[in-house]
Formats: sequence, structure tokens, C-alpha cells
Amino acid sequence: MTLLKEPQISSVCKKLLTGITGLSLVLFLVAHLIGNLTLFAGPDVFNAYAQFLHHFMHGMFIRIAEIGLMGFFALHIWSALSVQRSKKRARPTGYEVNSYAGGPSKKTFHSMYMAVSGILILVFVIIHLINFKYADHEIVGTMTMENGIEVTNVYKLVVNTFQGNFGLVLLYMAAMGALCSHLMHGIWSAIQSLGLTRPATIPYLNLVGMAIAIALAVGFFLLPLLIFMMRGTFDPNAVPDYSSHARLLLAPWMLG
Amino acid sequence: MTKKPTLDAKIPEGAIDEKWTKHKFNMKLVNPANKRKHDVIVVGSGLAGASAAASLGELGYNVKCFCIQDSPRRAHSVAAQGGINAAKNYQNDGDSVHRLFYDTVKGGDFRSREANVHRLAEVSNSIIDQCVAQGVPFAREYGGTLSNRSFGGAQVSRTFYARGQTGQQLLLGAYGSLMRQVDEGTVEMFPRREMLDLVVVDGKARGIIVRNLVSGELEEYAADAVLLCTGGYSTVFYLSTNAVNCNPTAAWRCYKKGAHFANPCFTQIHPTCIPRFGETQSKLTLMSESLRNDGRVWVPKRKGDDRKPIDIPEAERDYYLETKYPAFGNLVPRDIASRNAEDVCKQGRGVGPTGYAVYLDFAEAINRLGKDVIASRYGNLFAMYHEITGDDPYETPMMIYPAPHYTMGGLWVDYNLMTTIEGLFALGEANFSDHGANRLGASALMQGLADGYFVIPYTLGNYLATEKPAPVNTNAPEFTEARKQVSQNIKDLMNIKGKTTADEIHRQLGDIMIDKVGMSRSEAGLKEALEKIPEIRKKFYEDLCIPGDASDYNKELEKAARVADFLELGELMARDALERKESCGGHFRVESQDEEGEAKRDDENFCHGAVWKYNGEGKEPERLIEELHYEHVLPSNRSYK
Amino acid sequence: MKVNLKIWRQAGPDAPGKLVDYTVENVDPSQSFLEMLDSLNEQLVKKGEVPVAFESDCREGICGNCGLVINGIAHGEKGGCTTCEIRMRQYKEGDTITVEPFRAKAFPLIKDLVVNRSAFDRIMSKGGYVAVNAGSAQDANSQLIHRDLAEEAMDAAACIGCGACVAACPNASASLFVGAKISQFTWLPQGQIERSTRAKKMVTQMDSEGFGDCSNHAECEAVCPKEISIANISRMRREFTKSLFARN
Repeated sequence: MTLLKEPQISSVCKKLLTGITGLSLVLFLVAHLIGNLTLFAGPDVFNAYAQFLHHFMHGMFIRIAEIGLMGFFALHIWSALSVQRSKKRARPTGYEVNSYAGGPSKKTFHSMYMAVSGILILVFVIIHLINFKYADHEIVGTMTMENGIEVTNVYKLVVNTFQGNFGLVLLYMAAMGALCSHLMHGIWSAIQSLGLTRPATIPYLNLVGMAIAIALAVGFFLLPLLIFMMRGTFDPNAVPDYSSHARLLLAPWMLG
Repeated sequence: MTKKPTLDAKIPEGAIDEKWTKHKFNMKLVNPANKRKHDVIVVGSGLAGASAAASLGELGYNVKCFCIQDSPRRAHSVAAQGGINAAKNYQNDGDSVHRLFYDTVKGGDFRSREANVHRLAEVSNSIIDQCVAQGVPFAREYGGTLSNRSFGGAQVSRTFYARGQTGQQLLLGAYGSLMRQVDEGTVEMFPRREMLDLVVVDGKARGIIVRNLVSGELEEYAADAVLLCTGGYSTVFYLSTNAVNCNPTAAWRCYKKGAHFANPCFTQIHPTCIPRFGETQSKLTLMSESLRNDGRVWVPKRKGDDRKPIDIPEAERDYYLETKYPAFGNLVPRDIASRNAEDVCKQGRGVGPTGYAVYLDFAEAINRLGKDVIASRYGNLFAMYHEITGDDPYETPMMIYPAPHYTMGGLWVDYNLMTTIEGLFALGEANFSDHGANRLGASALMQGLADGYFVIPYTLGNYLATEKPAPVNTNAPEFTEARKQVSQNIKDLMNIKGKTTADEIHRQLGDIMIDKVGMSRSEAGLKEALEKIPEIRKKFYEDLCIPGDASDYNKELEKAARVADFLELGELMARDALERKESCGGHFRVESQDEEGEAKRDDENFCHGAVWKYNGEGKEPERLIEELHYEHVLPSNRSYK
Repeated sequence: MKVNLKIWRQAGPDAPGKLVDYTVENVDPSQSFLEMLDSLNEQLVKKGEVPVAFESDCREGICGNCGLVINGIAHGEKGGCTTCEIRMRQYKEGDTITVEPFRAKAFPLIKDLVVNRSAFDRIMSKGGYVAVNAGSAQDANSQLIHRDLAEEAMDAAACIGCGACVAACPNASASLFVGAKISQFTWLPQGQIERSTRAKKMVTQMDSEGFGDCSNHAECEAVCPKEISIANISRMRREFTKSLFARN
């Protein structure tokens, strides 16, 4: 397969590619998280957000975004695999004793197992897509918004998926653990790969990267956890409360 | 003593400041198109070797460069810390080519060759230009100009430096130029090769025999000229500040092939080194002499006083340098500081576990200036000392002891840097010409680069254009013969199969050398050395043990082959020291001192270079001389009282 | 004191290798690590055994010749120093110390703990210099250089080429070595003319020598005896990327 062939590009370019795709995926995660958090504002806001995503630019936006994401994912995996392969090639005989030098080193459990956390994330993404993107959207029906538009009730889909399914919540927790681990090294590493660091900024960027990694993982995991634990608050059959302040988040253009 | 005919140094005619310029014009040139037809061998890749190989490659010669390390960048020039002198007069403090020349001749205690030293001073400025152009990151002032410091008692600030890594940075500059030529194909690099013999054909140096240190194979290389840039021989003392692989083997084998060896007894002992702790020590670490600016040197007044230094009251301490030399105190020149340290230790007043150390005390300076000031001046050195010895110099006095550091002696060369074998040149510390009996601080780097960048490119061309060496290749019988001899020598060493290691022999030799041919030398001591060294040599050839195979990577064999030469060179050093019945520079004969115990030069009888000629195995070498004439710097006596 | 050693012994590049146990008695705490190995070798030689091959020269941390992986860390646990600068007082009676060679495909093993690092020389030959022939330089002070730039250049130039960065890197990458050299000349006006060709050629040579890619573990900086910052790797990447768009 061509994809598995030797990369003929420079090691620096390879890292640029990993870095750019990686950072882009992180940006996607940030957007994704913000979107997710609208769930806390109530079913109408969340559903309206979903409606907007799927119908913005007559549905072109989501398609382009999906293709783009797929492409970035693929490139990220390809370049990372290539780096992994160079690693094996560059040191055919390993050390009997392996250790961590400490000090300014950023070599950690996280940095050493990027491939493992990466694979876990990939597996999770597939499960995640099955859970939501390729789930039967008919089953949850629709919801009527204030202006009379009928939108798919993805709110119900999400709440139904997590409520009563402790196994799935655990799986999501594990996945977010993997994501966190991946990004603990990944974010700062991407910045370094793009050559954007200075001696003085390296320690801070490393910390900021770790903070973002933790924030993203916690943020994402909050949703399934709270849905699972607070059944009273998250009702799959909730009806929009048109008097709620959360509706302020609803922009008219979101509803198409 | 009957005077023997003096060797001809081929010094050009004319006024001292015109000699080199005129000589450069008078020398013959090799046509650019013909340069690539000349093969040149450069042995060694330190400052002299790398700069020579690079410059000759740039000119278009076909250069082969050999070094014992795995990379030319590791030559011992890297270890030079202090700096490099040049007569730039950037500080507007009265420096000039003439002053650098004057200081160097005077510093060499009137035993160097005026014309060579003047040339050195002349090209010193071009060296700095060259190195800056290469991107050597010299220290700078806020305005962007180059920074200078004063060094080694000079009255002007003429030393350029790159932190404590001047040697490393200069070598990286030369090494970079060398690697550029390697890439361009003019220089071929042969790392991990040790030169074991010189091949002389029709009286001219035409090639070398090297041992490949990885495969153990002997290899032969032919050329039109051979440049020896192999450094000095301080490691003859076993413990020195030199790298453990530094050795005189290449130079010594040339000596045995007919290149005369000049002033072997001129060695420099550096006063501020960390003392040895015991038997297994492999080298001595140098600390910057600047420590003596604020540290006070002392020993207990009473013999065998083993109290802790802080428990010894002021009244029972002997600040011997301050008492003896009130004007200069702790800042007396290197040789005086070294000799006095040895004296007090031999009186039984030395300190530390071996009794061969003196205190260098900063307590007073810390009280006066505060710990912060001292830390800003010497923080790195204190940390290094703490690391090596486990003692904190802020709390307890440092201990120091002198250590062999540099050798002014070396292969005799004429003004063109050619030895007494035609076509064999010696550059840098391997030759003898520029530093006389004592080298000034920050002058070694200058000399290595001067020879390589700015002298040899001219004088080698002249030799090749004048002599037009006939074609030669490694099939010549002289190559076969030399190779056979080297191979036999190695076999002989391997076949001894005794019980003593090369290091043990080397240590025994070193003990004698430092004791008898070290800081102060006496007739009786030197004679004793001349008796004992052959005994050690006998033991070496009877009881040496080298495990493993000669056709393999074999460090023990490498060491043994070098020790064999150390044993012979040590003897020549003692002989030379015995014959030179005067004190000058780093050579102090106890018989030749004034009533105050100061070195007394004997210009009447010894204003010459002693040039030793090898007369064959088992025969006494012959002492020739090169008369030295001082027309511009008149010999005077120094006084530091 | 007494220490136990596990030392990698391998007679040659193609011979099988393994860790061999040794014990060294009477270790003086003031001894350097290499002097302790000297003592071991002297014992071995006296028994007629082949001593452990390892390299060292200046024994004061500047030549870059020595380099061992001690207990899994290049140049040992102390950090900021070369192997020859380690003193035995940092170990305790009865400690077991594992000693291995620098491992990388680009540093093929010669014998025991000795490896061939000439890949570094080949990288240097592609641009680790300013191409200026002897004799053609202008006056040293005719080009002023900001003191801070000179200091930055010196920080990068402090590299001694020991190869610990490669040995310590989980990927056996030479990025810190190459980055430091490229940085030194990037800071200085002398380096500007060849700036982009240097970056391009040195990185290309590094790749072709079989070093691994850098994954930003920064383990190299932690073991670097001269504490050279991985910001130099960052700079190398900028320089290389810029060189892709440069005219020469």
C-alpha cells in the first residue's frame, strides 16, 4: 500500500505535518467541547446547535468539515506511524535498562506511549461515531422549536445513550483518559514541532499544553458523567422551557 | 664545554619586522594547477593540524589528515580554557606587534628564536580575523566589539576568549573548515589512526605507517611532505593536565628517523591544579590561574600539622609566597609558584591525604568582598572543585598542587618549520621554536593556529616548488621495511606476556619524572633518574602484559607502545636537563640560583637551543646546539621580589 | 567501598553481546567513574583477561570522547556533566551499576562500550562552518555583534559532540546536535550567507545517516553535558522550513 511506503520527506517536514494536523484536531476538540456544553443549557439550545451544524451552508459545512477531519486524522496517523517506524529503525538494539533523566526532560509515561494512546483514541472515535453519528436518529423523534421548526431531538439521543449504561460511561472515561494522556505531550510537542518555542517559553508552553489536555478531557467527560449521575436533571423527554435564560444562547440563524 | 657548530635555522636576512614579508615574497610558489598533484600528510587534527589541513586543502593540495581520536574535533586543543593572544591593540592600551614579540621573548626567558617569535606576533592579528570570520563566538562588549582580558601577568589586555572554552571554539572553527574541505574532496580524513613510523626515502620524509586503532591493521600512506601536528609530551609525567591519550609517539619515531629533538627538558608546570587523591588517579584537573588573584596560598608552619585548616590559628600559618615575594605575593609567575609549593611539601609541610598539596584560602577575600562577589568571579571553578573533591571552597580552603601542563620543547624546526628531515615539518606544540623556556598564558592557541593557517601554507609551497619531490608510492622498499619494523615492534610487545600493566610502568616513570625532572632539578636527582629509567625500561620489556590481540581494538597495546616511547623520551629529558647547567624559564637547576633562591640564567654558556640527535639504539644521543642571538630584546633578569 | 557492575561486553560489531557482572573493591569516593573502570581493567589485565573497551580522553568534560549509558541514562544520573566528570562518591557501598554503550543505528558499535560517531562528522561536513578561506577575513572588529547574540551563539556552540543526545533520545534522533550547530550560525552575521543551504544540507544529511525523528521528549537536553536547550531544535525547524522557500 502506498500509505505504508517509506516517507520520502524530511524528518522536519514530517514533524511539521504531525504538528499542524495535531493542533488542528485539538482546535476541533475545543469547538466540539463548546458545542457539547450547550447540552447543559437545555434540549432546545442543544438541538438547535445540532440543527445548525447539519444545515449550515445547506449541509456543505459539515461535509467539508468531516472530510477535512478525516484527512487530518489520516495524515496525523500516517506521519506519527512514520516517526514510530523511524524509531525502531534508528535503534535496532535497545537498552537493557531504561530510565528517565528528569530535570528539563519532557520524557514521561505520556510521551513514551503516544502510539498506544493514539490507537485507543482511534478505537474510541469509531465507537463514538457508531454511538451518535450512525445511531438511529428516527427513534428519538423530533422537537418543535419556538418558531415552529421541527428539529431532530439529539438531546434525547445523548441522554438516552448514557443513562443506564454504566459500561459506556466507563468506556468514555477510559477514552478521555487516553485523550488526556495523548495531549499531555501532544499539544506542547506540536508547538515545538512547528518551531514556535523559545528557550523562555518552553516550560510554560509545556504547562499550558498539559492544562489544555486536562481541561479538554475533563470537559468532555463531564457530560456523560453528569447525565449518568443526575437523572433528575437530564430528562430524555424534557420539553423546551421557553422562559429559560439559556435560550439567550439560541441565535435565530441557528435554526436555519 | 666545546662549542659545536650551530644548526642553521635559515632565518631570512633583513630587519626583524621585514623578515617574514620579504621571505614570503622570496619563496617559490606552486602553480595552482599543480597543487592538486601534491599529496600532503598531516598527522594530528588539533589547532595546528586542523588549520594546516584545512588551509592546504583550500589551496588545492591533496591532503590526508590522520588523528587518533574518533573525530578530529576531539584533539586536546579543545581543553584550552583561557584564551588566545593577539596584538590587536583594540583596548588602546599600548599593545603592538613589537610588544607581543617582546613579551613572548622575555616570557620565554631568552631561549626562543627571535625571528620566529616576531612572525608569530605579526600573524596573531590575522588569526583573530580568521576565527571571527569562521563564526567563533568570542566574548563581546555591549557595543558589539570584541572583548579582551589580561592574562598571565601581561601589562596589556590582549587575550580574546570564548567563555572558558576558547580552545574548543577555536578548534571547532578549524575543524569546520577542515570538514568543509573533506566535503569538497581536497582533504581525506583518517580518524582512529596512530602514526607509528615515518618513512624516509632518499633522505626525505615521504610517508607514514599508521595503525588502524579499530582493526589493528598497519596501513601505509605516501606523500610529498609530512606535517607533524601531534602536540606535546606532558603525559610523560603520567599525571598531567593533558588528555590521557596525548602522546609523543609520532614525534619520537621521527626523532629516531633523524629529526632532531630540541630542548626536551623545557616543560611547564601549572601551579593551580587539583591535587592527586591517590594511586588510581588518571589525570590532574587544571583550574584557572585567576584564582590566585583572591586566594591566599599557605601551609602550616609546623611539619606534620594535621589539624583541620580552620583549626590552625593565623600565627601558625605560613603564607610563604607573601612573605618571600612581598611585591607580587600570590601572583608570582607560574614557575615560582610551582617550585615554592613543591619546596614546602618536600619540607613535610604539605597538606591533604598525600601531603602534596597547599592551601589556597579564600576566607579573607570572602570576608572582604562578600560571598556573592567571590561567587560571581569564581562560581564555576568553585563548583567544579566541589564536585571533584567533595570540599566546598566557600567553607574550607581549596587545596592545590602544580601539574605538568605544556612542553615548550619539541622537534627542532628551522624558520620554515621544517625539521632536520627534509619534507618533515612540525607545527604547534610538537615543535620547539616559539616559547623558549617558558610559555606565556594564551600563547599556545596562537602558535598552533599561526603555524597552520599562516606559516605552513607558504613554507610548504616553497619546499615543494624548490625540491620538486620525485613520485613515490607505498611499494617502495622503504615502506615495506618500515612496516616490517613496526609490525615486529608490536609483536615483540605482545609476546612479553608478563604481569605488569603499561599503566603501572607509566606511573613508575611518572613518579621519577615529576620528582627528579619536574619543578626543580638537581645534578644528583637527574643522574638518579638516568639510572632508574633504564631499570624501569628493563622491567617493561621483561614483564609487560598486554591481553587480547594486536589485530583488534586494543587499548592496552596502544598504551604500551606509547609507554615504550615515554621511557626513552623521559631519559632524553633528564639528559637534557642535566646538560643544561643553568636555570631558565620552566627549567630550574638547584645548582643555578642566586643567594635569594631565584633562578639564575647562564647566558654565557647556555644561550642556545639544545638539539638532540639520535645515534641509534643503545648509543648516546649527540647534543648539538643552535646559537640564539638577541638583537631586539636584550636579555635581562626578572625579579618578582 | 565496593560496587557491583553490569557491563555490556561485545567482542565486535557482529559478535553477540551481553551484560557481564563484575565487582570492584576498594573504590575511592574521590575516584571518577572512569578511574573506577580503569581499576577494573587493571584487575582484568593482570588476570590476563581482555579489559573493557571504553573511550575517554580529556577527562575533564570537554573533548566529548567518553560516553556511557549508566543505569539507563546517558552520562549517568547526575546530569549536566560527561561520564568522565562523574565521581564515585555519588554511589553507595554495594550499589549495582549497569553500564551500556550509546545505542543507535547511526552509531555502530565497535567493541564493548565503544561506538563509531563519525556520522556527526559527516553532518558537520555539510555545513557546520562558515565557508571562509584562511587569509580572506576582514578585520575582526569591522562587524559588530550584539553581546546578547554572541552569548546566544556561544550557548549553542558549547556542544562537544559527545552524542549523548542521540543515546538518550527514545528515537535516537540527532536533532539537538544539528539544531545547536545551525543555531550558532543563525545568531551570527557571519552565518547569514549560507543560512538556508546550511539548514537544508545538514538536516538532509542527518536524515540520511539513519537517525530517528525527534518526538520532543527533551531527554536530550536533560543529559546534555553542556545543557543545550531544545529551543535549538525549534530553531532548526524554523530554519529548515524557511529554507524550503528560500532562493538558494
